[in-house]
Amino acid sequence: MIKLFWNTHNQTKPNSEDEKIKEKQATNYLWGQYHKKSSDKWIYEILKKVKYNTIENVTDLKKEDTLIIIDSNVEEKSELYLKLNIVCSKIFLFHLGDEFGFSDLSAVYKNCNYIWRPFCSSAYFNHDKVKCIPIGYKSGVLNKKKKTRKYKWTFTGTPHKSSRHDLLFQFSDIKPFFCHKTEKFDVKIISVDEMNEVLSSTEFVPCPNGFFHPETYRLYEALECGCIPIVENAYKYYDRLFPNNPFIKVDKWIDAKPIVLDWDSNQIRKKSDECKLWWDKEKNNIQDFVKNKIIT
Amino acid sequence: MNKNILEKINRLINNKKIDEAQFELSKLGSEFYKNIDYLYLRSKIFFINKLYYIALDTLLIATEFEEKDKIYELIGKIYNILGNKELSEKMFNPDLRLEAINSLKKELTGISQKA
Repeated sequence: MIKLFWNTHNQTKPNSEDEKIKEKQATNYLWGQYHKKSSDKWIYEILKKVKYNTIENVTDLKKEDTLIIIDSNVEEKSELYLKLNIVCSKIFLFHLGDEFGFSDLSAVYKNCNYIWRPFCSSAYFNHDKVKCIPIGYKSGVLNKKKKTRKYKWTFTGTPHKSSRHDLLFQFSDIKPFFCHKTEKFDVKIISVDEMNEVLSSTEFVPCPNGFFHPETYRLYEALECGCIPIVENAYKYYDRLFPNNPFIKVDKWIDAKPIVLDWDSNQIRKKSDECKLWWDKEKNNIQDFVKNKIIT
Repeated sequence: MNKNILEKINRLINNKKIDEAQFELSKLGSEFYKNIDYLYLRSKIFFINKLYYIALDTLLIATEFEEKDKIYELIGKIYNILGNKELSEKMFNPDLRLEAINSLKKELTGISQKA
């Protein structure tokens, strides 16, 4: 039987007397909760073509079960994966988080039959048992299918580094726009409902790179809501991750200004349709790939 | 010793042997991570590879450790290419650059090392 176990939120509550360890526990705990709350819709969409039973505890596993496990901070759970490998006939891991990619994951990955993970890096672009998946959209994001899109562009997030600062400098005279700046990730953010309203009313979504890694939820939220994403072309990350993607790519934000300012409604509609079609096809391909890996 | 290595890498960059320079830089360990000349060379390569924002972030971090004209001048050069003439001119002006850089870093939550 195929069973699904979501384990990101089952983290140790911060209890260590060692301040450094306690800090790490707190970070893992917060992110574990965040993944469960924010990524469940996306992961379940990827798994749409697979039939499974959801379990709440590993004690619900029986010998020879196939396990789909969604987890984070796996570098600290090698014993768990060793035990799971003894019980299960196959283990398929969706490894969420790990933006920095600094940890040695070999002790965990060797106990899994296949791994899907966001935040791709050179080590995983052509790996025989790891496939990179998009980080996806935040749970609840959906296209409200507005007849008109009143904002030329939208940015919500933290201007933590120079790219985002320059983006806001360059785009501030392109009106009308929606901008909601936050001081920290996931703090004082707008609600998902408001986000749906805004993105469904937006033509272009500039997607500057994340804090450490190029991947951001913003890109996939833009695609879900029918916007045209504009991404940074650093290291050609998105062309490596998605060959033939239709995103607009720039080395500097000033290069995107003429597009956002001057494209007429036909050009915008054509690009938006192209992005939508590509994203639907990409999601379908991922679903098929996941299904084939798990079922065969 | 450190100085010799960095000078060698600088020569490689000036002679357009970028891959070789990058390889030499990659061999340097964590003792260099707060070395302003090392950070400058990293930025120079980012800049040559059109990775303007990564170059800027690296230079902004370098200003946390020491002040050198070449850092501000490269920041000014990059802002000129990015189309922010005002910020670029301020970086080339020794009387204005410090205030401009501090004001910029206040807006960027992910740069300051002096938390």
